[in-house]
Amino acid sequence: MKPDDSVVSDEFLNAFVDDQLDAAEKSQAFDGIGHDEALKERVCELRGLKEMVRHSYEHPPVRNKSAGKGLRLRAPYLPALAACLLLCIGGASGWFAHAWTGRGGEPEMMRLLQSVQRNDASGEPQKILVHVGSSNPVRLKTALDETESLLDSYRRSGRKLQVEIVANGGGVDLLRADVSPYAMRIGLMQEKYPDLDFMACGQTIKKLQEKGVDVQLLPHIGVASSALEQITLRLKENWVYIKV
Amino acid sequence: MKILSLFSRSHVFHDQLEQSRVRLYRVAYSWSHDAALADDLVQETLSKALKNHGQLRDQEMLNSWLFSILTNCWRDHFRQHREMADIDEIEDYRCVHETTPEDEHAQTQIVGRVRGAVANLAMGQRQVLTLVDLEEFSYAEVASILEIPVGTVMSRLCRARRALKEMLQELAPVQSAHISQIRRVK
Repeated sequence: MKPDDSVVSDEFLNAFVDDQLDAAEKSQAFDGIGHDEALKERVCELRGLKEMVRHSYEHPPVRNKSAGKGLRLRAPYLPALAACLLLCIGGASGWFAHAWTGRGGEPEMMRLLQSVQRNDASGEPQKILVHVGSSNPVRLKTALDETESLLDSYRRSGRKLQVEIVANGGGVDLLRADVSPYAMRIGLMQEKYPDLDFMACGQTIKKLQEKGVDVQLLPHIGVASSALEQITLRLKENWVYIKV
Repeated sequence: MKILSLFSRSHVFHDQLEQSRVRLYRVAYSWSHDAALADDLVQETLSKALKNHGQLRDQEMLNSWLFSILTNCWRDHFRQHREMADIDEIEDYRCVHETTPEDEHAQTQIVGRVRGAVANLAMGQRQVLTLVDLEEFSYAEVASILEIPVGTVMSRLCRARRALKEMLQELAPVQSAHISQIRRVK
């Protein structure tokens, strides 16, 4: 790499021609070139080659086509713009739809219906697991309302629907005889729809009992060892899971 | 206002890309010696650049970033042709038709001869040579664009120029006087 070597390497001369040497190396190179005609010749040759290559590609042939080049790059903007517009429209309609359906548990119903419709084509009996984890009365009511309207609509159209309502945490209140605000309604629903089951979480009951609460469940309410286990089991059996 | 500035920024970026088109095309052509292929490669490069705009952290690096993308597009192009074994060692006759712009009639002209000679270089050498000579990238930049060590850049460049010199002498022994005339000019 050094110019005072007996033979100056081509790499060094290339770097000189391409202006890749630092100041010190460059002045060494100039020194060498000034004193050595052969070296000068080699440098000239390399410079000539470089210039020739540059000259040869100054005006590369252009592909024959009628479309203007500038226009083609703009194309990606159009889908982006369309996507933005759609997003705005979607956002706005979502906002208004929310205001329209914003009463408590309606979104749950939509989710229920959507999942049911999605799996409806198979012709097999639908199996839906409704998970209630909160004692919020609105949620409890929603769970019962939507389950009932679904069972009803299935019965009217002559299709089979199996629903299991699993309650844990605060949701167990729904199934406790002394606490449930819907004891009577649950009883009526059980009578009306034999394919409707209620399960309470064994763990939650255990915890309540540890706290000294006397847990009395409504009649015909099953107790799962734990809600989580029950949900996992049902998911494995391809049930549709909906959390209210 | 934020949205507006976002639009104007992307507009500036778009203009920058458009300005790079000619230079990208020149290099793509020098690699492929096929106007249609070069045009496709550039278009793909610019599309990818637009799509991945967010990946460019430093605007100063735009140029070498674009050429990195071009390199990847070029590599991808060969990946689609399974019979091509090693891109670095690939010889041009395999991928470019013999009668491309460097047709026989152009062989008598200096431009045609040089292009023909460059086309005959191994691909790795050709890439290094054109990036250094046409785009004046530093060796370090070329190393990063092609993802090879700087030492490899230097040795490939050296071999490329040596081969080019031999080929140009071989190709037109009768016209050597013409070449030396150019040397004198420089």
